[in-house]
Parts: sequence; structure tokens; C-alpha cells
Amino acid sequence: MEGSDSLEQSGSDQPESQRRRQLDRLDREEAFYQFVNNLSDEDYRLMRDNNLLGTPGEVTEDELFSRLQQIKDGPEQQNNSTSAPSTENVEDPVEPPENSEDPANGDSLLDWLNTVRRTGNTTRTGHRGNQSWRAVSQTNPNSGDFRFSLEISVNRNLAEQQAAAEGEQESQEESPEGQEVVATGEQLVTNGDPLVSIADPQVSIADPQVSIEEPQVSIAEPQVSIAEPQVSIAEPQVSIAEPQVSIAEPQVSIAEPQVSIAEPQVSIAEPQVSIAEPQVSIAEPQVSIAEPQVSIADPQVTIAEPQVPMETEVVDEPVVEELAVIVEPELEPELEEVVSQDIFEEPPRSPATLTVQPPLSPSPRRGQRRARSRSPEPRRTRARTARSRSPLNLDQQDGLRNLHNAHGSQGLNSAANTPLVPQVEGSSRTRQHVLSRQSTADSDVQPSRAGAETVPEAQNMASQEGEAAGGEVGAAGRRPPTIMLDLQVRRVRPGEYRQRDSIASRTRSRSQNSNNTFLYESERGGFRRTFSRSERAGVRTYVSTIRIPIRRISDAGLGEATSMALQSMIRQIMTGFGELGYLMDSDSDSSDSNRGASTPADLAEALNNPDATPAASAAPVADADEPPVAAGVRARTAESDIDEGLATAPPPSGGRARPRPPISLEEPSSLPFLRLAHFFLLNDDDEDQPQGLTKEQIDNLSMRNFGESDALTTCSVCITEYAEGNKLRKLPCSHEYHVHCIDRWLSENSTCPICRRAVLVSANRESVV
Amino acid sequence: MQRASRLKRELQMLSTEPPPGITCWQAEERIDVIRAQIVGGTGTPYEGGLFSLEINVPERYPFEPPKMRFLTPIYHPNIDNSGRICHDALKLPPKGAWKPSLNISTVLSSIQLLMTEPNPDDPLMADISSEFKYNKQLFTEKARKWTQEHAVQKNVGAVEGNKENTPDQKASSRKREAFGTHQEAVEPPKKSCV
Repeated sequence: MEGSDSLEQSGSDQPESQRRRQLDRLDREEAFYQFVNNLSDEDYRLMRDNNLLGTPGEVTEDELFSRLQQIKDGPEQQNNSTSAPSTENVEDPVEPPENSEDPANGDSLLDWLNTVRRTGNTTRTGHRGNQSWRAVSQTNPNSGDFRFSLEISVNRNLAEQQAAAEGEQESQEESPEGQEVVATGEQLVTNGDPLVSIADPQVSIADPQVSIEEPQVSIAEPQVSIAEPQVSIAEPQVSIAEPQVSIAEPQVSIAEPQVSIAEPQVSIAEPQVSIAEPQVSIAEPQVSIAEPQVSIADPQVTIAEPQVPMETEVVDEPVVEELAVIVEPELEPELEEVVSQDIFEEPPRSPATLTVQPPLSPSPRRGQRRARSRSPEPRRTRARTARSRSPLNLDQQDGLRNLHNAHGSQGLNSAANTPLVPQVEGSSRTRQHVLSRQSTADSDVQPSRAGAETVPEAQNMASQEGEAAGGEVGAAGRRPPTIMLDLQVRRVRPGEYRQRDSIASRTRSRSQNSNNTFLYESERGGFRRTFSRSERAGVRTYVSTIRIPIRRISDAGLGEATSMALQSMIRQIMTGFGELGYLMDSDSDSSDSNRGASTPADLAEALNNPDATPAASAAPVADADEPPVAAGVRARTAESDIDEGLATAPPPSGGRARPRPPISLEEPSSLPFLRLAHFFLLNDDDEDQPQGLTKEQIDNLSMRNFGESDALTTCSVCITEYAEGNKLRKLPCSHEYHVHCIDRWLSENSTCPICRRAVLVSANRESVV
Repeated sequence: MQRASRLKRELQMLSTEPPPGITCWQAEERIDVIRAQIVGGTGTPYEGGLFSLEINVPERYPFEPPKMRFLTPIYHPNIDNSGRICHDALKLPPKGAWKPSLNISTVLSSIQLLMTEPNPDDPLMADISSEFKYNKQLFTEKARKWTQEHAVQKNVGAVEGNKENTPDQKASSRKREAFGTHQEAVEPPKKSCV
């Protein structure tokens, strides 16, 4: 019989090598159990949460140990990470300005995203005239989570910088693999930072504007796990912000050399860096805010538990999608601190947020970030304040042009191209400039590259920054306007094996029955719009977060014009998302839908506020402190609140905040890439997914060590007999398993593997008050 | 991998004390593909037949159920033309009843039982199911005919016949599999018997 033949083959004819391999595996397995048993609870949790344990026999004990060390050292390494830029992935070098005019840009982006969706993670950067964009997408094939970030910056920098940037990119070619590392190496929390740092150089070089967001994604996850694995949605964003900062710094360092060559004003380039940093600081607040969502979600989960018959349906297939648009305003570092405090002081609307916040941001980290943000500014003092004062009036476009012209006269202009955002066009510089620029740039380029080398140092700036902060000299930093669009489409399905086999990284966001929660808030001059919606019929939940912090341009003269440009861009973005919002809201019955529809307008309004500080621009050097008006703005839920928010925000020394009349949204065309949102939303498919327990719930189950006297001696998950000292977990039904076996099962399921009794019942009683 | 160690144990158990009427062995060199044969129960229309199944053990086994499929055509309300089986032990909760304490042996036994006792109320093949419910004689006739055509002939026939048929089946089934798994990767399986 066929059966017997093959049986023999596989059984007795087993090659020697295979047998040896199996023996090795068995050894490793044993070592694994030993290792797990010797772990402290804390360490075990740490490793499990970071998905470092793997499965028995997979890795050697040494490897496990090194992983543990790595994860433990993670935070510290991050601090030092600035020096190691190696991992960043730059797939597409920045296009030379000449090629930058690409009318089909939007479509190409879409196409690219389509491919990305299949392939996973990609980074793309491009130039358009004075605008540069960088798009990063990461897809988690397992979960279908998708993250896309696009940063557009309007470049005021010289063409030389671009050249320098290109040079840099070449030097930093390690990119493509770096990404993979990130994607796969989520466990490598510590590595995250270095990546970011790498990314930075590119951005800065190409166009100071381009912020690299990719690193964020990868980085974000590790952070989450470390900081608090629980915060699923919000955290990634935050983490993202950080990378940007790091990125920004390198840029500055690079840029400087160039600037100095071209024009003695080395100082000018630096200001950019300073700008980037503020973002980081801003980002943090977001995190804190973001958490509330998560926390909210959790309660739902508990409610959701199968036990409650009514809600069960809803729970069945929660899909949480998060769209986050992050436009980060630049804030003055000092202001940031104030703002952050404010945020904390202000009671979050949802009680949950309060509780959550404390755990979220590890204080040390925060401190670091802030320090960084401060530092850059001081150093890069007064970049061309004089220039910045170019005539400001006129339309946005005109204003921009003027600005550019001014630059051009100084020889700073870069090539003009069609901007990604039509409205931004005004800012674009003429091509002739570019050419001439390049010719001149040639000589400059080399120096710039040299500058690139300095980048790593720049990253080390964290320490330096601290010092720098102390020595802040009043100078108007020149900051390139940057618009970051961060689109995050994330599906959270309770039972889904996102991050297969890992319990830790799983996030649970489930929405309650209450439909259409809509939060609208602005924080630190940024706006964040959150709206979650649950669809009863489809049992689907959307949580969309749109954050629009606006990065302010500190330059006096430039400030206004750029801010206008920014506004228009933002308006476009918001318009795009407005559609999205409409799309999403239209289905819902709740009264919130109206608000959702109007959101774009609101946002635009809110955005306008930041502009209020034009006057500050006039003060050249002295104006070192730029008014982060926007920062102060906090619009919450209601539009009216926005005004209040302004009032609450104390304008910095130099700054004044003055609300502007809302701008009507007339832009016929929304940014093409906004369609992506639709794309992803539409591509969402429902699946039946089992639900698992949260880590807390699992951890609440009792644990003990196996003793020889126990009657049941075999774990029915792995069909392995318990060994002395094995850690067992006992379910409420009193069935026991290896901790690592049952944890894995429970992360996706909620019943006992033997008797199928719901584990949650008891867990719920414990956790739910 | 947990799968490997567990599979090894299971195969050992299967070879040492196989459930009655069931044989099971590892196919080729692959660790994740297992073949099994179930003898048609006496007193059933499948009597005398030998039904081969292909078992794919997912990476996450035992946290995911094994994927089982009939290679031998079988006329059964809960088994479709491509051999897919509607059986709750083959699905994850909440819809299914898979749990890690089950194993390949127990699942095969329950499939054996399913062959003996079809479940027309949870049909995969609606027409066969209604036939089973309302015209049992016809059903029995057809099922017996299928058994004679596909299950008996093949195995009674020479070993060569077996070898000829199996590769084809394998090839085609592989294709199906590849397609199937691909789909699953994109959109996780929605398995329902309807």
C-alpha cells in the first residue's frame, strides 16, 4: 500500500542529517523551556510582548538571551542611536530638479501605492520645483494594516542643497534593505532610532522639506511595545514623529556646509533642522491624546465579550481603520513645553485618556525629545532674516513668488517645477534659476557632501542640543514649510493574527455600540480630528484620526507667505479628507455626520490661526522666539472651541495669535493622493476573525510552576509533558498549559483548548469594574 | 517550531496506535503535508472504498486547525466537489470548534464519523443534502456508485493505477491549494458551509 511505503520512507529512511537536525532542535527546545522558566515574569512579558520568544526549538538559548538583552537595552540604545543611520531605506533617490516636473504625479503615486500594497514597504521621494515630497508606505501583509505618509515641503533652500542632498543619498545607499530590516525586525526596538537618523539626511539634503516618515512606522512599533504595547493606534503616529525629528537634524548639518559655501550664511541651513525638531515635540502630545482612543476602545472590548449577547454581534468583526493626517506645525520649543503642559492640564474629554496618559510616554524619552527640539534653533540662528522680509502681500501665490524671487536674487533659489500641490505653485522657482544654480552648485556640491558627513554628528546633537538650548540666541531661524500627510489605514480586527504569533504587538481597538463618536480637537497648533464610527449592520468600526499640526515658519518675511502656501495645501488636504469624511459619515445616521462633513472647513479655519503671527516676521534676528500661535490653539469638538483654544494658548514672547476669518474652501481639486484613502477604505474586507484576550486579561490569569506531584502532566497544546519548573498557566476552568503555549492561543481565542469554556468570563469580572 | 515538534509526536502516535480504519503518513519530504486514508465504514454507502485525504498543516498549527481535503471524490452532503469538508473541527472559533487539544488523529476520526453520519442541516452541497434528507435511497445509490467508481476501483486496482492517478491529483490539488492559499493570504478564509 502506498501508505506503508511512504511511511517507511519518512520514518526509518530518514537521512542522518535530518536526524541530527531534529536532535539539535530538540536540544534547542529544551533550552527554550529552560530559558522561559528562568525568566522573571517581567522579562517573560517583555519578550513575549515584543514577539521575541518565537517558538520552542526555533532559536538557541544564546539567541534568546541576546534578544532579551537587546530589548532591555533598547531604550538606552535609542538615545545613542543617532549615530547609526545605516538602516534607512531610500528606494528612490530624489529626482533631479529637471525631471521633477511630472504632471502625472498624483497618479503615479496611486500606482505606486497600489504596488506598495502588494509589496509591503516602500519609500518614495520626489521633487517638484521648490516642493519636495516623500512618501512612505508600510504594509503589514498579515494584518492588512497600511500606513502611508507623505510629506511635502516647500523648499526655500538653495539648489545647492538639493545637490548636496543627492550626494548624500548616494552615500547613504544602504536604504532598500534597511526597510526590510525594519519591517521584519519590529522586535529590534532599539534599532529604530538609527533608521530614522539615516532617513534624515536624505530629506534635508534633497529638500529640507522632505521629511522621511517611513522610519517612523518601523520605529513606532517598537516604541509601542516598549512604552506600552497596549496603545495600538495612537502610538505608531507618535513614533513616527520622532523619526522625523532625527531626520531633520541630519539635514541641517548637511545643509550648512552648502550654505556656507554658497553664501556665508551657514546659519541659514540650520534653521531647518530646528524646525524639524519641533515636530517631534509636537508629536508627543499627540501620543498622549491618541491614547485616549485606545483606552476607549478597550472598555468596549471588555463589553464586547461574547457573554453579552447583544453586543456580541458588534464585536464580531470590529475593523478599526485609522486615517491620520499629520501636518505638523513647527512650534517653538519653549512654547511646546508650555503647550504640552497645557494639554496635560486640560482634562481629556474621556476619562480614559487621563488614566492612559501617564503610562504612555516614558518620561525620559520625552525629555530627550524636547531637548532636541530646542537645540537646533539656537544654533541655526538667523538665517536670512533679511531675505525673509521680502514683500509679503498679494495672493498666496504672489507672496510665494515674491519670496522666491527674493531668494533668487540672492542666488538661493532652486529650480522651479510644478508643485505637487497646485496652489503651492506660486512658490515654485523658475527652472532657469535651477540650471544656473546647478552650474554654480557643482562647486558647492562637494562641500555639501562634506557636510553630509557631518550629519551623523548632527544626530548626536541630542547632547549638544541640550547645551545649545541653553545658549539660545535670539535669531530668526529659517524653517522650510513642511506639510506632512500621514495616512494611516489600519485595521484592527480582534481575532486577527496581525503579527502572527505575537501577543504583544496586538492592539485591540474596538468601538462601542455608540455610533459616530466624533472628536475634533486641536493641539499645539495642530488639529486632530478623530472620528470613529461603528456600523451596526456590518459590524464594522472606523476610527479615523486626522491630525493636522501645522508647522509654522518662523521666518519673518517668509513666514506669512509660506504660511499661506501651507494653508492652501492644508486646505487641499483637508478637502480631500473632507470627502473622505463625508464618505464615511454619510452612511451614519448620527448627527455627527454634519460635523464630519464640515470638518474640512473647520480645519482650514483652524489652520488659519497659525498664520496670525505674520508680524513677528519683521523682527529679524531678535525674533529668535517665534510665536507658536498655532501651538496654543486647541479646538475641541466644537468649532467655537477653537477660538477659545486660541485664547488659552499663550502667545510666546514675540508672537501674537490672532484668529482669522475662516477661509472658504474653493479648491476644486483635492490632492490626488487623497483618493488613496478611499482606495484603502474600499479595499477593506470583512473577515470573520476569532477574538482573543488582551494581554492584561491573559496576565491576570494565574500562573504557577510545575511540580512533580501534579496529576496532569501533559500540556495539551504542545503535547509535551511538563518538566520540573515549567511555568504553567491555569485557566478559570482549572485546565493548565504551558504559559507560552496558552498565551499564544489566548491571544487569538477566548476559550479553553480543552473544555472550550470561555476564559473571559472570569477575566472580565476581574478587570471590569 | 511548535508545529514541528508537535507533528512529530502526532505522527508517532498515529503510526503506533492509529485509530481504526485510518492510516496516516507524511507525504514526501514535506513536513507540512500529510496524507491519510479513511476506510469507508461498513453499513454506509462508502463501504469498500478507501478515501484519501490530504492534510495541510499550517505554520501556526496547533493554534490553527489543519486543513483537510478529500482527494478521492466522494458523494456526501458535507463534502464538495473539490474535496473540501464542512466540519466545525476544521475551523477556528468562534465559527468552528478547533482547539489545540485536538489533533490530526481526532479530527480524522471525526471525519470518519461524518462520513457515517452526514449532517444535512449544515450542508456544503445543497442538492446532495436535500437528496439525503428527502430521497435517501437515491442518495445512497449515488454515493455507492461514486464509491465504486472512485474509491474502490483505484485502490483495488494495481499499484500502478494508484501511482498514475495520484500524481495527477496531486498536481491538480496543488494548484488548487496554491490558489487557495494565495487567496487566503489576501483575504482570510471565510469558511462557511453555505
